[in-house]
Amino acid sequence: MSRKLGALALALGILVGAMELKTLVTAHSKTAVILANGVSPVPKLPPSSSN
Amino acid sequence: MGAGVCFVTCSVLRASFLKYFFLNLYVIFALFADLLRQFVLRYYGLQSPEYIYAYYYTDCLLTIALFVAVISLASHVFAELNLARYVRFVAVLLLLGTAGFTYAVVVQSTERLATKFAAELSQNLYFVGLVLTYLLWGAVLKLHETRTRLVQMVLSLGLYFSAYAGSYALLNLAPNSEIVQYLGPILGCFLPISWALTIMRNSEEARLTPARLVAVPR
Repeated sequence: MSRKLGALALALGILVGAMELKTLVTAHSKTAVILANGVSPVPKLPPSSSN
Repeated sequence: MGAGVCFVTCSVLRASFLKYFFLNLYVIFALFADLLRQFVLRYYGLQSPEYIYAYYYTDCLLTIALFVAVISLASHVFAELNLARYVRFVAVLLLLGTAGFTYAVVVQSTERLATKFAAELSQNLYFVGLVLTYLLWGAVLKLHETRTRLVQMVLSLGLYFSAYAGSYALLNLAPNSEIVQYLGPILGCFLPISWALTIMRNSEEARLTPARLVAVPR
């Protein structure tokens, strides 16, 4: 039980850390998102009207 | 593409395909995704909705496959401690947590919800993979992991994620530079090449001491 709680805490810690890191990296950027797969050219996502 | 074929071929020839099944699966997915993207790009063009859908959905699938590949490496590292079950539990929690968080952020956008969700999930999972890889490298050092293939594959992943973060920083510094825009596709070849070299040059029994890779203050 304690191991499962530990795993849950670890997962939450990793998730929070990753999202903090993402906010830190992308907060002041004007460029496209980071996409890390393949060799094809990255298309720009059209801006949505509500955002 | 050649590097991916080389990695899968080497894995099959050196009887490591099943041992590193999820790494092979990621590379096979990447090959098919690139074929599909090139096909759609040729027929519809770069900024066409068809290419945007094809690109972001395949990217989301590939990032999930890469996440599973990182988790499979973590399972190898923690297998001797009988913690593989908990690694899988953490992986499922992370995947569900990231998907839930992404949905909560994206649901406010009413337009193109699915495409934006795919792009955001891919990006969020990229950061989760980055953090996981660094934690895994810490575990490799702490547990004195000596399997050369495993150590080099984790190092390759760390370099790959870090290089992408570096290229993103460069893209922000010089968004109009053409060289920077080609860095992403060039880096896309790095992972299959480094994994193929690892499989070709080292046998499963090869051992090294990762502690030697770290500068220890005296």
